[in-house]
Amino acid sequence: MNDPRREITVAVAGQPNSGKSTIFNMLTGARQHVANYPGVTIEKRSGKYSYKGDTVILVDLPGTYSLTSYSQEERIATDFLLYEKPAVVLDIIDASNLERNLYLTFQLQEMGMPLIIALNMMDVAEARGLRIDTQKLSELLKVPVIVTVGNKGKGKEELKTAIINARRNTENNNFRIDYGEKLEPILSLLEKRLSEDLKISLSYPVRWLAVKLMENDSVARRLVEKAFSK
Amino acid sequence: MTLDEIKLGEECRIVRQNLGGATGQRLMDMGFIPGTKVKVVRNAPLIDPVDLLIRGYHVSLRHHEARGVEVERT
Repeated sequence: MNDPRREITVAVAGQPNSGKSTIFNMLTGARQHVANYPGVTIEKRSGKYSYKGDTVILVDLPGTYSLTSYSQEERIATDFLLYEKPAVVLDIIDASNLERNLYLTFQLQEMGMPLIIALNMMDVAEARGLRIDTQKLSELLKVPVIVTVGNKGKGKEELKTAIINARRNTENNNFRIDYGEKLEPILSLLEKRLSEDLKISLSYPVRWLAVKLMENDSVARRLVEKAFSK
Repeated sequence: MTLDEIKLGEECRIVRQNLGGATGQRLMDMGFIPGTKVKVVRNAPLIDPVDLLIRGYHVSLRHHEARGVEVERT
């Protein structure tokens, strides 16, 4: 517990053009490493920095609008979150496009990821006359929301502090999307069935898996078929 | 009627979306769902694409993709 070489892995997620790379560069500076995800030609950027005795390893996920199984980028992002289990996910949101960006946020929350939101490009949003109540947003989503302007370095220290704090915060995020009276009964039935299989319930967030099965997601189907075929 | 029939500068509301597959999923991810308003902002000189305004941001679609989105005039 008192290991001085504490390392935490943080995945940086966000939709295309949310300023993900700018925030990534702002946090890591020049200490970056570029490779490919195994077996595919999608670039995997990682970088690290030290903060108050902790080493933070940032991994830049491919920019995706959502986390379905339709594109390779989305599958890679999903796999990283499921199997590498980052300690924290930093979700970069384009503040001038809040509604669309929150769709990915909801999916990350459904996966049970410990989340921090960077509300980026706040200057652009304000120039468009948008005013965002960040405190209210944070209360509703039950996650820390940090205002950033990536290209001006604004929010850098606040983000670094929030990342360390989020790691220490082991409380489960109990944010839940209510899919309404038509879908919820079916979802809870699926969740119950999935929970009965220990291998599944220990490896995957069952709520997320249930929703993905309802979407007829090919990866989710394969996971479940494999587990139940024995 | 479908989204490709909407004239320049006109606004409409999405009724349903019949694209399916990866394109259909992507459009849903971007908020092309029933009830959402869409405005036709520009048409490219050589038919494709068409520039749309939806939920405060711009998206370009090919006409054959726009044909897969059923809309009604607002």
